[in-house]
Amino acid sequence: MHQLKVVQLTKYYKQAQALAGLSFEVENGEFVAVIGRSGAGKSTLLRCINRMIEPTAGQVLFNGTDVRNLRNRDLRRLRTGIGMIFQHYNLVHRQTVLENVLHGRLGFKSDWDGIVGNYTHAEKQHALEIIAKLGLDQHTYSRCDTLSGGQKQRVGIARALVQDPQLILCDEPIASLDPSSAKVIMDHLRTICREMGITVIVNLHQVDVALKYSDRIMGVKAGTLVYDGKPDKLSKKLIHEIYGTETGDLIDE
Amino acid sequence: MNQPRIPLRKPTASSFALNLVLTGFLVLTVVGLFFLDSKKADVGQATLKALDDLRKMLFEPVMEHLNWTEAITQLGVTLGLSFLTTLFGAILALFLSFFAARNLGNVAIGNVLKAFVAVVRAVPTVLWVLIFAIGAGLGAVAAVVGMGFHTVGYLLKAYSESFEEIDSGVIEALKASGASWWQIVFQAVLPATLTALLSWTFIRFEINFTTAVAMGAAAGAGGIGFDLFMASSHYFNIREVGFLTWLILLTALVMEIIATRLREANRLQG
Repeated sequence: MHQLKVVQLTKYYKQAQALAGLSFEVENGEFVAVIGRSGAGKSTLLRCINRMIEPTAGQVLFNGTDVRNLRNRDLRRLRTGIGMIFQHYNLVHRQTVLENVLHGRLGFKSDWDGIVGNYTHAEKQHALEIIAKLGLDQHTYSRCDTLSGGQKQRVGIARALVQDPQLILCDEPIASLDPSSAKVIMDHLRTICREMGITVIVNLHQVDVALKYSDRIMGVKAGTLVYDGKPDKLSKKLIHEIYGTETGDLIDE
Repeated sequence: MNQPRIPLRKPTASSFALNLVLTGFLVLTVVGLFFLDSKKADVGQATLKALDDLRKMLFEPVMEHLNWTEAITQLGVTLGLSFLTTLFGAILALFLSFFAARNLGNVAIGNVLKAFVAVVRAVPTVLWVLIFAIGAGLGAVAAVVGMGFHTVGYLLKAYSESFEEIDSGVIEALKASGASWWQIVFQAVLPATLTALLSWTFIRFEINFTTAVAMGAAAGAGGIGFDLFMASSHYFNIREVGFLTWLILLTALVMEIIATRLREANRLQG
């Protein structure tokens, strides 16, 4: 069984079509990069997988269950198995690194335990280990608004990891970072994929980064899949087709 | 060297209307001065007398009909009145504002709530107190309910707008990790807006304090306002009015200092 199977996924925003019947499968432990222009539907695609956006038609099967049939509690349980990382980190700035990381455990807790922030010793231990693994142990009790962009994104990764997810969705994780911080983040994502066996699907603007890090590349153009395969098979011509450019070079560092 | 002036913004219908209204006010103010009916009073002498009264009030304050213990007790009553109304109002407003904020609750329910409190706010606090006095009788009960009512209207708008200003990504992130609505509210929304909520609550406490003074005089709610009313309208003792004014001013000042300190402390510790 495929870990993730997407069948004829379609999404309309009012009249505008964002996804036009995408189909693909992702195996356990794959590192998949999704590339395409802004507005091609990359973010919509990612968010349809954990139902942050409601698909209009098609199927999304995660471990065999169609996520579109899930309601309330079941939907929350599905989301605990899927971590998510964002371009703008989406942390609570006024709280500490540890508090933000522990937010990843909320989905496992009762409403009340979550409201008062009642985390178990094991959960805190686990969070501290992940924080140390990402090299943030100096900052465990720092407020997140005192961190640099790269550090904030590592907190974002830690918050996803503390969920013990099977799949991590990354929406432009390095688009707001300088090249050296971006490298640190991408290296961490690859380590997570290789060593922990977590599937990673990452939306990227930078083609060269996608080529360097991923096992597989999906090129999205106007809501359709125009390329799905190994990075080394992706030709210059195809890249230009994905980005809708005629000739010349793209700025990719 | 006569260059045409480059405007910073394009003139619009609304800027034209604003200029028209402001010019109108200016004209009316000047014209109004010529139609002042001073009866037979000598304006110069009257001004001097008014200034002399002000001097007596502010620089020769005395206590005649009450002593320090009574004054402090009555001040306590007024403070209690404002504290209670702020507390009740804040708790109710906080609970309702979760549902009124567009990014947290149902938009339709939010709009109904916001429309309702807009009406509540449009009616002055004094009128609400008088309306509730029909049921409760003039006094402290009507004052607490009426002032609390207006407080809910005020704070609900302030709180829900603070919530709406938070980074929507934080809510998205917690939702994506499977957190429930109540968990998101308490783990992300409240921590992110705590300073703003505190500020609004203190501003409302200050408003409620001055209103409570007025209610003591106007609605028989007791407290320092009632003594002020007696000193001015009953005993015509301008020096005692002065003493009470100083007392109220100093209290407001102390409250302002405490509020600023609390905000600072909260900003630093987070």
